[in-house]
Amino acid sequence: MFKAIVSADTLKTTLDSVSVLVDECKIHLEEDGLEIRAVDPANVGMVDLSLSADAFESYEADGGLIGVNLSRLEDIAGMADAGQLVSLELDEETRKLHIQIDGLEYTLTLIDPDSIRQEPDIPDLDLAAEVVVEGKDINRAVKAADMVSDHIALGVDGSNETFYIDAEGDADDVHLELDRDDLIDLSAADAHSLFSLDYLKDMDKAIPKDAEVTMELGEEFPVKMHFDIAEGMGHVTFMLAPRIQSN
Amino acid sequence: MTDWTEKYRPTTLSAVRGNDKARDAFEKWARTWDEHREAVILHGSPGVGKTSAAHALANDMGWGVMELNASDSRTADVVEKVAGEAAKSGTLTEGGAGRRLVVLDEADNFHGNADYGGSREVTRVVKDANQPIVLIANEFYDMSNGLRNACQDVEFRDVSKRSIVPVLRDICRQEGIEYEDAALDAIAEETSGDLRSAVNDLQALAEQTAVLTAEDVVTSERDRTEGIFDFLDDVIKHADAETALKQSYDVDETPDELLNWVEDNVPKDYYGDELADAYEFLSNADRWLGRVRATQNYSYWRYAGDNVAAGIPAARQHDHGGWTRYGPPSYWSKLGRTKGKRKQRDAIARKIAERSGTSIGTARRRILPYLSTMIHHCKPRELTLAIAATYEFDASDLAYVTGSGESTNKVQSIVEDAEERREQAAVEHSGGAFAGGRASDSDADEPDGSEGSDGDGGGDGQATLGAVASEEAAGEESMGEEADATAADDADGDDAEGETQDVDDRAADAEEDDGQSGLADFL
Repeated sequence: MFKAIVSADTLKTTLDSVSVLVDECKIHLEEDGLEIRAVDPANVGMVDLSLSADAFESYEADGGLIGVNLSRLEDIAGMADAGQLVSLELDEETRKLHIQIDGLEYTLTLIDPDSIRQEPDIPDLDLAAEVVVEGKDINRAVKAADMVSDHIALGVDGSNETFYIDAEGDADDVHLELDRDDLIDLSAADAHSLFSLDYLKDMDKAIPKDAEVTMELGEEFPVKMHFDIAEGMGHVTFMLAPRIQSN
Repeated sequence: MTDWTEKYRPTTLSAVRGNDKARDAFEKWARTWDEHREAVILHGSPGVGKTSAAHALANDMGWGVMELNASDSRTADVVEKVAGEAAKSGTLTEGGAGRRLVVLDEADNFHGNADYGGSREVTRVVKDANQPIVLIANEFYDMSNGLRNACQDVEFRDVSKRSIVPVLRDICRQEGIEYEDAALDAIAEETSGDLRSAVNDLQALAEQTAVLTAEDVVTSERDRTEGIFDFLDDVIKHADAETALKQSYDVDETPDELLNWVEDNVPKDYYGDELADAYEFLSNADRWLGRVRATQNYSYWRYAGDNVAAGIPAARQHDHGGWTRYGPPSYWSKLGRTKGKRKQRDAIARKIAERSGTSIGTARRRILPYLSTMIHHCKPRELTLAIAATYEFDASDLAYVTGSGESTNKVQSIVEDAEERREQAAVEHSGGAFAGGRASDSDADEPDGSEGSDGDGGGDGQATLGAVASEEAAGEESMGEEADATAADDADGDDAEGETQDVDDRAADAEEDDGQSGLADFL
């Protein structure tokens, strides 16, 4: 069984951070909250999300798994105004999800979880460098880089203790450097990897501007980005595989 | 019950049966990929193990797999975003050093709007890739030349009966099914090289009976499609009408397509009377296809099919042997090449139709050809000029109709003259409304006239009329002023044209501009 009431904002933020990568996902309805893990069709980007039961106005679940079409669910959540409450209830008999927003009732047909792409194992990576930046700095860098290129280099200069972002276009370049003072935190070690801007752009959309984002970086290694949602009661980890640097 | 083809899908390349050579070549491609960094095309009939080999190889090499197949929408956008990114990026577990096998299944089958632009994008992805890519296809030559040249290729042949039987036997043992050897032989025989079908057939039979015997193997032959080239060869050279007709039912082409194929290839073998007869049948077929289009009654298709498939053998009078290089129909490519020309032709027909009050179709078929003949190469000039002026042809229209070059002097001059003539006609028929525009220059020269007009409540048109009139009337200024007055009176009236006509008839010997002379005469 599953029955929950949650604020529309929290629901939207949660869905947004998954829908930037996949159209359909499995949602684990654990006793202490929701969990979603998904990898995009190209196996390049991954999201791992948990939303604690405390983030809900009320929450009851006893395990189980549902498959949902995210864009459909997002559309429904979009019907709610900010601050409105959304009530979700799983009808076990019809295998449908009943959603209520202030008198509006929506019955969402669920998807067979087996037909959804398998959930990824979370790779255990040893990433040497770690920076903590504000969401808006990532947004700024991604926006600027997008003007010149389709990929972006994220790196940490271990000796200068700076976090830098480079984008090289055919004609124009963008460079952004943040030192210890600009960052919330930094554990410096040399790191440099190239990433697809398309993916970073999508992920950036899901990162709240005021969030503290922890980025873990390595040498030609995936980047990990963690941040909290729902006032610290939810947590999102994005992982993105690097572009291969062809010579 | 799980699908046995899935359950017994080989997990390692060495378990892939029946295509040892291809398997070794494929493995070599993978092992040496770091040196050549090229994509590979696996091609061969359905069910011989191409997809299995790709997945087994990835498993052997410890590579991740990203597969895009025909059940996904494969537009250029999707191919670029999904396959492109997968082919350019490292893996989530190992970063830049990690390998991922990008499998594009059914790479020769990009269809319609769902896959719009996909095949072109595949070539781009292959060229920019930093990860190994496997393209899987049934027909090697259905893929573009550019794509084929950018890849290595490995052909998977049909699996021989000798290789199929042991596979079936293995499965029977593992599933605990009792069988007669003859039954497995029969299954292997019937599926003619398609290992997947053999396994499917075995599973279907095993679900029905406890012990497999040769009799259980129903001799229902799987539908097979007849290759179009084989069909052409038979229908044109060997087969009698009945055989050819029956054979045509197994060809995977619609009658329109079939007609195009036959139409283009029959003259490569037939000649003289038999060719004429053959085309008679083809034209009958085409008329039936026309009826299908007109009525949307697809039961007429069979008559088209009859004419194509049975008509050609019926027309045959000579022996035709040897080998002929048949080619695909040029119909579509011709349509593509002549698109611009046809567009122009239709635009011309539209102009003619508007002018003549006919349909565009009639204008195209019944008028345009005559015009083309009448004024071929712009001769006679006067007629060409008249036609160009009437139908409002521009240079490219006229070039199309006459067959003369668009940039040649004669076409350009005719178009200019026609333009002038039209302007003239417009002025002629406008009751003097345009006269003002032409005469406005003369205002400055005729201070009196313009003054008069300014003072007049009637407005500019009249003033200038007066000016022109006075100018042309050999400098009688007073006349100009009077003209103003009269023009002002009549300005709105329709009879203005009548007046100018009068003028034409009665006076104004040396005067070129009718409108003005008419005014002078009126005065």
